[in-house]
Amino acid sequence: MSVSTAPETDRDQSTHELSSPDIPWELIIWNDPVNLMSYVSYVFQSYFGYSEAKAAELMMQVHTEGKSAVAHGAKEKMEAHAVAMHGFGLWATVQKGGGRG
Amino acid sequence: MAKAFNPGRRGITGFLEPAERDLLRKLFDDIITILEPSRPAHEDPLAALIGLDMDVAVPTDPALLRLLPDAVMGDADASLEFRQLTERSLRESKIGALRAATLDLDKDKLVLDAEAAGLWSRALNDVRLVLAQRLEIRDEGDAERVHQVQDWGEADDVESYLSLVYNFVSWLQESLVQAMLAGLKSSS
Repeated sequence: MSVSTAPETDRDQSTHELSSPDIPWELIIWNDPVNLMSYVSYVFQSYFGYSEAKAAELMMQVHTEGKSAVAHGAKEKMEAHAVAMHGFGLWATVQKGGGRG
Repeated sequence: MAKAFNPGRRGITGFLEPAERDLLRKLFDDIITILEPSRPAHEDPLAALIGLDMDVAVPTDPALLRLLPDAVMGDADASLEFRQLTERSLRESKIGALRAATLDLDKDKLVLDAEAAGLWSRALNDVRLVLAQRLEIRDEGDAERVHQVQDWGEADDVESYLSLVYNFVSWLQESLVQAMLAGLKSSS
């Protein structure tokens, strides 16, 4: 992602993953050098309804680790999320979940 | 010079010089041209209605592929099936955002409500994704190389000109998104 302003991240903030071993699909967001960190954070907040802290944490995970599993659930739901992410211009894929992406 | 987008009670206000409006119109129009399907909608009215497109193929233009990426990592068949179901409506939604932003450029005052701001941020982002492909921005180092080009006096070749345009659109999107984030904060 592109760095314009350093976001305030709280790495100690615990997050509640919407994860279940029974629902084995996940939505992966991949890092790219174009999308602004602020924009990715905005999309995570406005589309998924994540808190500012959780959006920042996921955004930083994408930025530093190259990708992040930002949602988990039924296949159809993850596919709908992927289309929405492509609409925003984020690089998203769906996959069968294993552990954390 | 353009001014940064500014959040206010009546919406997010921007200010662009006429030359900057012309530049954005041209850029939005270029992306619309890239996104417009080469073939008409499916003849079958039901297929057309739900956006189904069985003739769709993976884009050969890397810029278009970045706008319409494969959705299933490592599974070309599943990605293609996904395209058949979703690509046409995704193209239309992107074109819709670009057209809406173009229409706003014709207004004397650029004041965006939350919905218009969302459409603008998507339109600007798609412009940046395409310019980044043309500028071969593949990693953070490439992004930094382009970011270094800041002087319009240096715009003596296509690459430096595109770099300056990319940096302008990036700055504009950043200021818009900051205004949108401020709006989210005040409404939560």
